Amino acid sequence: MNRITESSMVSAVDPQGSAVRRSILMSLSPVFLFFICLLFSTDSADARVRGRCKDCHAMHNSREGSVVTRAGLSGPFSSMTIGGCMGCHGQNPNGTQNIIVQGNMRIPQVIHYFEDGDLAGGNYIYVAEGHNPVYSRGHNVEGISLQENSPMNVPPGFVGGVNIPGGTGPLFWSSQRQLTCAGTWGCHGNRIIEDPFAAMSRAHHEDDGEIDGSTVGRSYRFLYGILGKEHRNWEYLASVGDHNGYKGDYTHSSMNTISYLCGECHAKFHPNANLGGVDEVGHAYDSVWRRHPSDISFGGVHNGYLDSEYGNYVQYSLESPVAYQNPTGRESKVDMDSIIMCLSCHRAHASPYPDMLRWDYSQVSARDNKSGKGCLVCHTKKSQ
Amino acid sequence: MRHKHLLIICLLWLGIAMSFDTGMATIGGDCDACHNLFPGMMDKTHTGKAFQYVLKNEFCVHCHSNANSDTIKSLGGNRVPVVHNTVNPIYPLGGGNFQYVAKDFGDRKGHNVDGITSVDKKFRGFPPGYKRASDPSFIGYDPGRPLMCAGSNGCHGDRDIEDPFASIMKTHHALDKPIDGSSSAKSYRFLGNAGGVKGVVGFEDKDWNQHGSSKSHNEYSPSIDILCKSCHGDFHSEGKGENDHWFSHPTGIPIPVLGEYQKYKVFDPDAPVAREHPIMSSPVINHGRDKVTCLSCHIAHAGPYDSLLRWDYEGLLTEQKKGCMICHSEK
Repeated sequence: MNRITESSMVSAVDPQGSAVRRSILMSLSPVFLFFICLLFSTDSADARVRGRCKDCHAMHNSREGSVVTRAGLSGPFSSMTIGGCMGCHGQNPNGTQNIIVQGNMRIPQVIHYFEDGDLAGGNYIYVAEGHNPVYSRGHNVEGISLQENSPMNVPPGFVGGVNIPGGTGPLFWSSQRQLTCAGTWGCHGNRIIEDPFAAMSRAHHEDDGEIDGSTVGRSYRFLYGILGKEHRNWEYLASVGDHNGYKGDYTHSSMNTISYLCGECHAKFHPNANLGGVDEVGHAYDSVWRRHPSDISFGGVHNGYLDSEYGNYVQYSLESPVAYQNPTGRESKVDMDSIIMCLSCHRAHASPYPDMLRWDYSQVSARDNKSGKGCLVCHTKKSQ
Repeated sequence: MRHKHLLIICLLWLGIAMSFDTGMATIGGDCDACHNLFPGMMDKTHTGKAFQYVLKNEFCVHCHSNANSDTIKSLGGNRVPVVHNTVNPIYPLGGGNFQYVAKDFGDRKGHNVDGITSVDKKFRGFPPGYKRASDPSFIGYDPGRPLMCAGSNGCHGDRDIEDPFASIMKTHHALDKPIDGSSSAKSYRFLGNAGGVKGVVGFEDKDWNQHGSSKSHNEYSPSIDILCKSCHGDFHSEGKGENDHWFSHPTGIPIPVLGEYQKYKVFDPDAPVAREHPIMSSPVINHGRDKVTCLSCHIAHAGPYDSLLRWDYEGLLTEQKKGCMICHSEK
């Protein structure tokens, strides 16, 4: 009580009072800012699933005496989940939520009808059965789409037995084998393990504060071995300075880039020697490209970066993003060390456009001078 | 020589003391305290035959209930475990308390035992998961009749006998040690089972877990799951997926040696484990040997939480260090 009175007196009679307060505030502000930063860094770094067990798990495939159902699926479900992957990540395909808040959890939805709300990977609604699917617009994942007909029933550019984090990829992809969310025949989880749920085991509950690729939980978006910076809203309302940070490596000496993951199934489209190599894709310095390269920097083009058309791509584009050697998700500048990747042109899941492209390739025309759109985000002089 | 005699006498006394301490449940004392008659309890039979008990299940309930909140009461000089208080119990026993299902708390709080509450409105007397093939009883569970304390439609006593009273006969006054499952009397808490299957084995806390702690508590064995399975089918062994992951939470498997389970080191009465040969309370969790049991998560009679769980699964958060997270410490 005395302390309050004394403090009040100081401010009432001491003409220096406001200066003192200012001084205190000034000295406190770095502390305050530090805590704010800490709060944000914690918020964006640790995506470990927390909250009520019951939101995702049912112990006996039994609820009120009936089998557990969710999202039109009925149990039993592996790992005692309620509805498997789609039970959580595709809870309401007809709904308009791209992120569903459930208890303490925020769950990204990979299929929904939120207009202009597609997350970074895209939206499976474009290829999903029951939603007028156009199969060329996305990956035909089991449980979402039916398998495509030949030749698209195996991954284009597939090479058997390539090196993948932890071992070797499948030697052969049967025409009967459909793509799954995770596991050997999918993208997420440990691809050495065939079963999707076993491949994802422990990932959701692991401390993923540091994405170092050492485990599935500590890999970018649970893509085992891949590095990157995860945007906390999965790029919903992302901006030029706040987005997913994709990992690239123009030396082709690592297996931790996002494009390498694509190459694990589409090997012939990646110049890494483990995958298609220069024989399939070409080489930056002494040949023309046979296929559009990925994991190469703008500085790696023949005739040099200076005065090249890529020099005009200076501000990060969410429409045609680039990768970085050490991504932070905060890069707003593009320069000669910025790296072209598969996701510069494609979405990972599905998009409104053929070939899962980020734009309508059939409408991109050099003649129409639409610099800054589609291919022309990078190829700036093609429209001049 | 005198010292040797003294040692033998001491050991003898210690043995006697321990045998009492570990719950010798043989009932003695005043007959009338338990066997007094109340209106409607006896019924005439055909001419020339003796009167017989009716309201047989209520007879169990009558002795094992209490009008106040005490969960151990005295009858004729005997300490009687109370499984049903008509007011909220202060310290529910190991099996919980039927108060939670008897009042307005709802069917999901416990087993709807006849004489305490009416038949479950949803399941209408049918045990969820019941499979006749999993029930070793020669008679089997009859969903047309209510759940009883004992007998073929109950848990205690000999489940090859339909009449609950007959099925529990000769247990309370019999020598009940050692608990080897050889008879209902020598089965853990008189859970005798049926069809040639041995009764449940376990270590009975002398206070029925009234103040269960890591050091002093009931000890379960995997045989308790066999009894649960009798009415609820094989919820668990069918749960294993072909690729080594679970469709249903397992029981009867050892607490893994590796991973998050390592942090569960001291026995927690909120998530008890089963031991193969339980002979006394132990605070130690033996990874790789102690097993998950139905009672790791559920209580047998009734409790304040849905699905007879030991904790509030509906509100349980991964951040909390209780409930599921006692074992799943890194979730």
